[in-house]
Amino acid sequence: MPAIRPASKRKPPPDGFSDIEEDLLIFANKMKDAQNTPTDNVPKHQAQWPIFQIAHQRSRYVYELYYEKEAISRQLYEWLLKNGYADAMLIAKWKKQGYEKLCCLRCIQTKETNFNSTCVCRVPRAQLKEDQEVQCVNCGCRGCASTD
Amino acid sequence: MVKSTYQPSPAGSLPPLPPGWTEHKAPTGHTYYYNAETKQSTYKRPGAVASAAPATPSVAAPIAGAAAVSFPVAIPPTVSSTIPMHPAIAGYPQPSIAPHLNLSDPNVANAFMAQFNQAQHQGHRSGFGGGGRGGAQSRPRPQPVDKPRSKIAIPGCDPWILVYTKYGRRFVYNPIKNASYWRIPEKLMPAILELDKARIRQKAEGKPAAEDGSQAPADETTATTDATSGAARAPEEPEQQPEKSTHDYDSSEYEEVEVTDDEGESLEGDAEGHSHKRQRTQEPVAGAGPAEFTEADIEAQLAAMNAEYGEDVEMGEGGWEEGDEGLPLSEEDARELFKDLLNDFNINPYSPWEKLLEEGKVFDDARYTVLPTTKARREVWEEWSKAKIQELKERRAREEKKDPRIPYLAFLQEKATPKLYWPEFRRKYRKEESMRDTKLTDKDREKWYREHINRLKLPQSTLKSDLKRLLESVPLSALNNRTMVSDLPSQVLADIRYISLEPKIRDPFIEAYIQGLGPPPEGGDTAHQEDEAARKAREERRRRQKALEEREKAVAEEKRRQEKRMLYERARLQEEEREIERAMHVGKKGLQTQLAGAMLAQTDNRP
Repeated sequence: MPAIRPASKRKPPPDGFSDIEEDLLIFANKMKDAQNTPTDNVPKHQAQWPIFQIAHQRSRYVYELYYEKEAISRQLYEWLLKNGYADAMLIAKWKKQGYEKLCCLRCIQTKETNFNSTCVCRVPRAQLKEDQEVQCVNCGCRGCASTD
Repeated sequence: MVKSTYQPSPAGSLPPLPPGWTEHKAPTGHTYYYNAETKQSTYKRPGAVASAAPATPSVAAPIAGAAAVSFPVAIPPTVSSTIPMHPAIAGYPQPSIAPHLNLSDPNVANAFMAQFNQAQHQGHRSGFGGGGRGGAQSRPRPQPVDKPRSKIAIPGCDPWILVYTKYGRRFVYNPIKNASYWRIPEKLMPAILELDKARIRQKAEGKPAAEDGSQAPADETTATTDATSGAARAPEEPEQQPEKSTHDYDSSEYEEVEVTDDEGESLEGDAEGHSHKRQRTQEPVAGAGPAEFTEADIEAQLAAMNAEYGEDVEMGEGGWEEGDEGLPLSEEDARELFKDLLNDFNINPYSPWEKLLEEGKVFDDARYTVLPTTKARREVWEEWSKAKIQELKERRAREEKKDPRIPYLAFLQEKATPKLYWPEFRRKYRKEESMRDTKLTDKDREKWYREHINRLKLPQSTLKSDLKRLLESVPLSALNNRTMVSDLPSQVLADIRYISLEPKIRDPFIEAYIQGLGPPPEGGDTAHQEDEAARKAREERRRRQKALEEREKAVAEEKRRQEKRMLYERARLQEEEREIERAMHVGKKGLQTQLAGAMLAQTDNRP
């Protein structure tokens, strides 16, 4: 996120920001709450799940507003990306075939795993065993294969 | 809760109330009974309860037995004491009952009731069945919901049970897997066919089973092992088991079943007879102990099925449409309704779907359920929000751009005082709309504030001359003697000099100035008029569009209403057809059944 400048020196956000301001504020508050909840009794690997999830939701929100609903202008979209309201890298993946529902970037980072594989949440439901419930270690995703 | 299937039987058939009891109507429409002396009130018709001493649970009068009558008008007004009798049941002929029954034990009570009912409906089925049907037909409106009426364990296929509904439909249910199907699975088919055969046989035998039934429940075990009725009884026994072992009833998948015609015929009668049984056997259980597999459970399931199945179910069987919940909506209507719901709740089209779910405002609305799945709802929501955003965009484009300075300056004129420094002023009014407008920078706001405050200190004459200079600077095309004071050009409104004077001094001043101006220049005038014309045309167009929309909406509404009416009429027609068919069907007793039915219908209609 770029440095927050004093209000007197701030440039106004592009047109249409006021429409989505409230929802973004809700996301920001949720994120703050998630960051501030103590993680004493939470397993270590689960501590960051809510943060990943909220980041995903917010990125998805911006992505859908621009690419699916065409509700915001290109200027506003770029401004949002620049100001950290959405994860540009994640959105870049969503545009690729097979990654339409990707939960987080860590789940496709093969180099960090022992067998150079993606996360289990990337495995399509059809290829999992019957009634097998998965929840990935990185972000708590329950499955984000685009065929699901 | 379960809706009552209770149909008030004709008044003549009800036993008179014991002294002290009075009959009342609750606001819900139920009748209830009140005893002013004991200050007791009950939904159950007290009947002979008061007359029979509570110490002796033996039965009041064994009148009905052999002299049982084919329709309820002539029924003696006595009811056995401890059995919690449904008012509708009170009208049935009562066979003699052995004394000293411990009916507080649910098992005994169930067994007793099963026998008791069997005896009844086998003895007088033909007459009574016809009468019952007649009564059902004379109802003014079809009952809105189908309900489970009875269930039977399927012998040989252990957890499975066969559930009959009020309208004679049936489905199989597996309490362990929590699955239920309208279409009977292949593996259950033989067992169910067996069951049906057994029932038909039982029906044909009639008399011997009836004799069985009139025996004391102590004979129950021997009765079930009896060769003749054994096959028929087999389902009765395990029937009680699922009642206790099953609960938490929910299902998602099922299929519709088409019952073959001749089978359905026997089934219909059978299911009905059976349903009487069920109704009665259930009551003691409910009273005596926790019955897990209650009617409510099955009903909830049925409701879920109906909701998802909608129209298909209606087409499935002849006897179904009167049980359908209201009239089926077409897909289009459902979508439109859901969109209406979104509109009515002022849902922000920019908000994410999750927010809608989290807020949960819309759940309570009936229109939320017109779409069967959340996925479908989400799709409609997406479509709606897209359209809505587009609409909003267009509307905004149509509205002329307003100078953001105007509201701010108006605000300054109202609120600014020399007593407050800018930081104080800003802090005090930081929540005001015009202070938060992102179109203006804080710097500009500050500058204008300071300027305005400084100008307030100047003498009036200077301010007036400044304003005059401002007005003079405006071209005649924008400001002339036709301009209204309330409708000044934005050029004037957005100037700091305009707000320096107080309105009550400024407005007469401007008015006087405008009076002194000439008429608008010819060229400018036409331009102005053109502008006016364009504005008018735009206004007109908007109005027309709106009218069109409204008309379309009205037409759609009318269309929808008409469709609904048509469907309703069709349902009624089918109902009538079925009625005729039923009338054409002559049972074993020949014309007697018809006559009995007709007479009962008459007695039904009388009150």
